[in-house]
Amino acid sequence: MNPEPIIAPSMWEKPDRSTTAGEAIATPSLTYWQDVRQRLWANKPAVISIGFIVVLILAAIFGPLISPFSYFEQNLRLSNIPPVFETYRVSDDTGNNTRFFLNASNFNLYQVSEGGQVEGLLRGGRKDILKKRQGFEFGNTDIVLDYSSRPARLLRADGTTLRPEGWQWNMTYVFGTDQLGRDVLVRQLYGARISLLVAFVATLVNFFIGIFYGGIAGYIGGKTDAVMMRIVEIISTIPLMLYVILLMVVLNSGLISIVVAIGSVFWVDMARMVRGQILTLKQQDYVAAARTMGAGTGRILTRHLLPNSIGPILVTLTMLIPSAIFIESFMSFIGLGVTPPMASWGTLTSEAVETMRAYPHQLFFPAAAISLTMFAFNFLGDGLRDALDPRMRR
Amino acid sequence: MAGYVLQRLGQMLLTLLAIATLTFFLMHAIPGGPFVSERMLAPEIATALNDKFGLNDPIWLQYLNYLRGILTFDLGPSFRYPGVTVNEMIADGLPVTLRTGVLAVICVVALGVPMGIVAALNRNKWPDTAVMMLATIGVAIPSYVIATILLYVFALRLGWVPTFGLDDWRGYILPVFALSGFWISFVARLARSSLLETFEQDYMTTARAKGLRPGQVLFKHGLRNSLIPVVTVLGPVVANLITGSFVIEQIFALPGIGRHFVLSITNRDYTAIMGITIFYAALLMVMILIVDLLYVWLDPRIKLRKTAQ
Repeated sequence: MNPEPIIAPSMWEKPDRSTTAGEAIATPSLTYWQDVRQRLWANKPAVISIGFIVVLILAAIFGPLISPFSYFEQNLRLSNIPPVFETYRVSDDTGNNTRFFLNASNFNLYQVSEGGQVEGLLRGGRKDILKKRQGFEFGNTDIVLDYSSRPARLLRADGTTLRPEGWQWNMTYVFGTDQLGRDVLVRQLYGARISLLVAFVATLVNFFIGIFYGGIAGYIGGKTDAVMMRIVEIISTIPLMLYVILLMVVLNSGLISIVVAIGSVFWVDMARMVRGQILTLKQQDYVAAARTMGAGTGRILTRHLLPNSIGPILVTLTMLIPSAIFIESFMSFIGLGVTPPMASWGTLTSEAVETMRAYPHQLFFPAAAISLTMFAFNFLGDGLRDALDPRMRR
Repeated sequence: MAGYVLQRLGQMLLTLLAIATLTFFLMHAIPGGPFVSERMLAPEIATALNDKFGLNDPIWLQYLNYLRGILTFDLGPSFRYPGVTVNEMIADGLPVTLRTGVLAVICVVALGVPMGIVAALNRNKWPDTAVMMLATIGVAIPSYVIATILLYVFALRLGWVPTFGLDDWRGYILPVFALSGFWISFVARLARSSLLETFEQDYMTTARAKGLRPGQVLFKHGLRNSLIPVVTVLGPVVANLITGSFVIEQIFALPGIGRHFVLSITNRDYTAIMGITIFYAALLMVMILIVDLLYVWLDPRIKLRKTAQ
């Protein structure tokens, strides 16, 4: 195998000028946007990402409304319940069956219905702390929970070990519960709401401040441009996250503060990009034509220049949205974001880190949610960039 | 060249002044002084403390004093830890942050660039697919998630590395990797696309046509030109390492500046917040200047002139 690039054999051949076939139009002509749409639909990861984002938005809006739980409702008797568990079955003399599972990290037994609904904590006898055992009575059948050795075992009265009957999905708390017995799924959906709210705000600021700031600076040029761009330069010298942190210190943590903080600095990248676009576009003949026909600055900007740079604007936007979502979850992770009992993917992850050894499922779901969302926006951004780039046209 | 550097230094001072002013007035906009707490201080003590730290002076005098402090590299005392200055806090955390940071930059260059080269040379074959898949994962997953997953798998489940602390070299592996993961992926993607673009340039065909060995073509003509975009992102890399260190140092319990910064935020230690922010800004600007100078060395087409516009 020769991995080094060589000169392709075709480059040594003489160009074939005998036919004019190359000049015939082979494909039906499409408008730019038809072409873009076609290329975007052909990009599988981007299409899947769009689907994911739509599902996420719908779930975030409607999920908490139809969920029987709320994000702040605590049930300490049902804390740290996993999303999937191994069930045991005990029958007593009257033929009653009891189905339950053992939470191997806090040594509690929880009763489960046949359908997999968690029905409650099973009350046992006194815990023998020294011998590390606890008795449970099911009618006349006695079961002893022995947690003196790991893993904990359930013993019958005759000393034999009770065997689990199989795995069961948690049908009450699909994603389990956290250390305060709150439903993880509904908290995740609240986290999605917050992330999407932040994404929405970032989009708005980019549209209303970033684009016009950059547009005005680029179009007017001269001293105005120099001053406006120097301000942007000063802001973007240090990471945006540092400003967001400083603003959060001033405004105190909370959902509104983080939205304000992200909103107030998140437009600078867009402003820069738009200015660059406008600088190249304003030399075009159609701008001169519009000006001779008497169009004002505002009209030229909004009717001619900005619509023509919509492609790069869209791409920049899909790249900025995940970074806004990331900053929110990052801030919440280090304790500067939303305040409890509000849930964000960042706070959910940082809470789960504390109990990671015993309950890794609490870490898995928020980490997966934020990662999948970032994936979706990244793939969509890549797809859009490829679709909007005329050079990619085949 | 010297003129350009001087001009850039002047700009840096101006930017630093703006950032110092901004942080100063932001911190002073917060209601309540640094000594207002649940435990009421005796009025005499409060006055004495305010006098000691010059908090009774008019705000413009405090501002000028603060600026003079920055110019003489004195960032003032911490308001939460009596007897500790902000300078000492930075000096205390800097070695740890610097060591992990430098290791992370080395990782970014030493892993990201070769990954990109391998991917570009094997375009659309399995090494390319593998590298791009890894890189997509690395770009999409936030650093704190990577850090916690690494911690869970390698420290808790497998027990290969310690969960916290930097007592031996193994303690560095996870923090450095979590810190640099995003940029390794980013640089790999960038190096790949940039190298592919360079391969199509006419001078590459010329170099091949005149019979240079493939290795020479790749390293002398291809790599040097395609590394320019990679150098451009090294500035943002430093910025990212700084903000990344806030959370990485917290997760792995490393006593670096990032941890001091987050702690001073939760403690509302205003002088420490201001001081560390300004320190970060200065560090970043120096880094960006170095990157810009590297740029000229790599690409002789770029000429530094005194006026930027």
